[in-house]
Amino acid sequence: MLLFLEYIFKIFIFPGVLFLSVYSFVLEFTDRKLYARMQSRVGPPWYQPLADFLKLIGKNVIIPADANRFFFSIMPFVSLAAVTAGFMYVPLFGTSAVFSFRGDLIIVLYFLAIPPLAGFLAGWYSRGVYATIGATRILTQMFAYEVPLFISLLAPALIADTWSVSEITAFYAAHPLYTLINLPCALTALIAFQCKLERAPFDSPEAETEVVSGALVEYSGRLLAFFNMAHSCELVLVVSLFAAIYLPFMTGIIWLDFLLYFVKTLFILVFLTLMRASMARVVINRVITFFWTFLSPVALGQIILNLLLRGVLHI
Amino acid sequence: MKHEEHIVKTLCSRFPFLENRVYIQKEKRIFTNPLSADEFKEVIRYAHNEMDFYRSTHVVGTDDGNTLGLLYILANQEEILLALRKSVPKENPVVQSISDLYPSIVLHERELVDLFGVVVIGLPEGPAYPLPDGWPKGNYPMRKDWNPKYFNKSTMQYEPPQTKEEIKNE
Amino acid sequence: MNDNQIVLPIGPQHPSLDEPGSFHITLEGEKVINAVIGVGYNHRGLEKACESKNYIQNLYIIERVCGICSHAHSTAYCMAVEELAGVTVPPRAEYIRVIVAELERLHSHLLWLGVACHEIGFDTMFMYSWRDREKVLDVLAAFGGNRVNYGVNTLGGVRRDLDETILELIVKTLDTLEEEIKLFIDIAMTETTLINRLKGVGKLSREDAIHYGAVGPVARAAGIAHDMRVYEPYGAYREIPVNVITDTHADVYGRTLVRMLETQESIRIIRHCLKSIPDGDITMKVPRRIPAGEVIVRVEAPRGEDVHYLRSNGTDILDRIRVRAPTEANWHGMKHMLEGGYLADVPITIAAIDPCYSCTDRAIVVRSQENTNVMDWKQLRHMSVDYYKKQGIDFAACKL
Repeated sequence: MLLFLEYIFKIFIFPGVLFLSVYSFVLEFTDRKLYARMQSRVGPPWYQPLADFLKLIGKNVIIPADANRFFFSIMPFVSLAAVTAGFMYVPLFGTSAVFSFRGDLIIVLYFLAIPPLAGFLAGWYSRGVYATIGATRILTQMFAYEVPLFISLLAPALIADTWSVSEITAFYAAHPLYTLINLPCALTALIAFQCKLERAPFDSPEAETEVVSGALVEYSGRLLAFFNMAHSCELVLVVSLFAAIYLPFMTGIIWLDFLLYFVKTLFILVFLTLMRASMARVVINRVITFFWTFLSPVALGQIILNLLLRGVLHI
Repeated sequence: MKHEEHIVKTLCSRFPFLENRVYIQKEKRIFTNPLSADEFKEVIRYAHNEMDFYRSTHVVGTDDGNTLGLLYILANQEEILLALRKSVPKENPVVQSISDLYPSIVLHERELVDLFGVVVIGLPEGPAYPLPDGWPKGNYPMRKDWNPKYFNKSTMQYEPPQTKEEIKNE
Repeated sequence: MNDNQIVLPIGPQHPSLDEPGSFHITLEGEKVINAVIGVGYNHRGLEKACESKNYIQNLYIIERVCGICSHAHSTAYCMAVEELAGVTVPPRAEYIRVIVAELERLHSHLLWLGVACHEIGFDTMFMYSWRDREKVLDVLAAFGGNRVNYGVNTLGGVRRDLDETILELIVKTLDTLEEEIKLFIDIAMTETTLINRLKGVGKLSREDAIHYGAVGPVARAAGIAHDMRVYEPYGAYREIPVNVITDTHADVYGRTLVRMLETQESIRIIRHCLKSIPDGDITMKVPRRIPAGEVIVRVEAPRGEDVHYLRSNGTDILDRIRVRAPTEANWHGMKHMLEGGYLADVPITIAAIDPCYSCTDRAIVVRSQENTNVMDWKQLRHMSVDYYKKQGIDFAACKL
């Protein structure tokens, strides 16, 4: 019974839904404020993401007559659920996540693939012209980043000789210098994650000036609020996963590690925001060329390097 | 002024009927008096094909009482403007489109159709310009006898005073 | 139309258009197969309105033809009336007109850069360039009293003289702007994502530019040195040397470079003007009745050649005015530029000619806490007469 209560606490309070949503607001605010300061704007006040969410919650939901009502209203929650579930397998501080088993890295990757697919289905079932174009762009973009992302997340796993995120973290925490080997694929993963989050310069699925707001153009009110929330939670998941795999440094003291988690995630966010602020949007067909001709070879090279190192160093 | 004089001379020697009907207003501005439809067609074709008047800036429509005046303004590489004038009766304002020579003229010819009620033959198909959809037929706002005072914006109808009293009250 | 094609309506309402225009884009995948362009959503009947007001009243209508190049339009109109009336403008007024015109070009080009960068999703540059545009607008507001419709021109000269404080402000602003513009040019020439988005997009070759009658930066980017300040110098441009900036890229990238380099040229021209501006009067009296005649005036607006045709009939009301804004000339090549490109390039291609569909209707809304009223022309006039009565000037005797 106690174990059950503990799981309930972990799933719904910490580090589960509540922590995830609160921290998603924090990260969203930090991202927006940093972005604004980089553009020499003032930026929003700290409660802006929460205010946006609450405002949207209170608005009417309009569902287009042609849309498939079931898919249209379920997609935001599918997206949010997938992100939350994926978050359970990522160790935030220390080396153990809420759940973990051999091979949960693959599970996390599949959970990460669900939000774009939900976005695609949402756009497809909205039946609008802009939504359709946005939806096809999401799929096209997925085709571009998915392979380099998988490869660059699997490369560190090769050296750690495990498919579990928690065990990878534990391994690198024990051998911090080995993380240096993974620097190239850390870079490819960062770029691929930026693309996955559909942030500039890879934001053509929701390019406002071309397809208004892409797949989500018909969404409003509560449904849009939850889609937006799923999007910021995805950001939290992505930076946490990145921190767990590529920056697994820790002190062993719980509260210090907890603090370190925030430092690491904010540090990664600065890079993601800097990337977003300093480049123009890349056209969708160039995104594919870029990922297949630059990122995939780099990530593949990393895999080969890691395989060789394993053979030579007998790690 | 050398270029302008040369242009006028060339035009007059090619088309004897232009003698005394084409004049230099000032530097870079050459105007003609109203030409008939056939004369106009010949002159504009010659200006486009032989004299390097490569673009047409626009057409100005004017309301000259019983006739509608059309001023086609052409420009050449030295940016000398040649303004060819044409005049059509108000009752039956029919002109030939010159969009085969100057493709950029289409928008301006459409404007003549909407605002002056000129019938332009040979205009490519396309949306009307610039009046809104549902504009009442037979209303040509740039003609002098069309008074915006009588246009009812809510019904989109032109309601001029009909009876003598109404006219008197005005 | 086969099954693979979809028609995407861009406009009349769309985030990438700052004014209503309609583009029906037929797409095959992401490729543009056909484009049908519709304009005319903003026809306000200004030319008809001009035929019912006197010359000095028309000045204010003409200034509102465009929100950005308001000075270019009012300069053209003033020049036309002055030519018909046979009035020579004092040299100091001509210099002031040029200074304001070049300041206007500066802010228009910076505005364009911001819009263009927003269209290609480069919002940082958008914010930077609009931040600096604000500095130019501050100068214009300090001088003319308004951010975009400065009301500097009047028939026979200008309404305001440059004093010491304004001069200082201009000099100071130009110095800071020059640094910022250097940065923008540097970014435009080195930032890879930006260049990739602009190069080869919206091609309009030299031959096509001639064929479709392109003007302004669109023509100059195709290597045609089309600039009214040089072809037909007017006002103080007769004395000030102007370097025409051209480029041979013939695409959106070329248009960006031309506009950016032109801002530097504008700064140079303003500095030259400030150095050599003569002393003297700023207005000449223009009679109320203008002798009959007709005139075509051409002015280089920031977007290209602005042509005004004016015909007078000897009274104080004009017979016909025809305003041909530069966008009207650049519109025709648009279909050619769009077709064969990609959907992602449509907004930037449209933005690259710096289209100015025209500005909003003329009505003034007075907001108070409880109610909102819309004032018509008569009420507005009463309000202004009352206002000036309080200042000690009585306009009530003037007939409208």
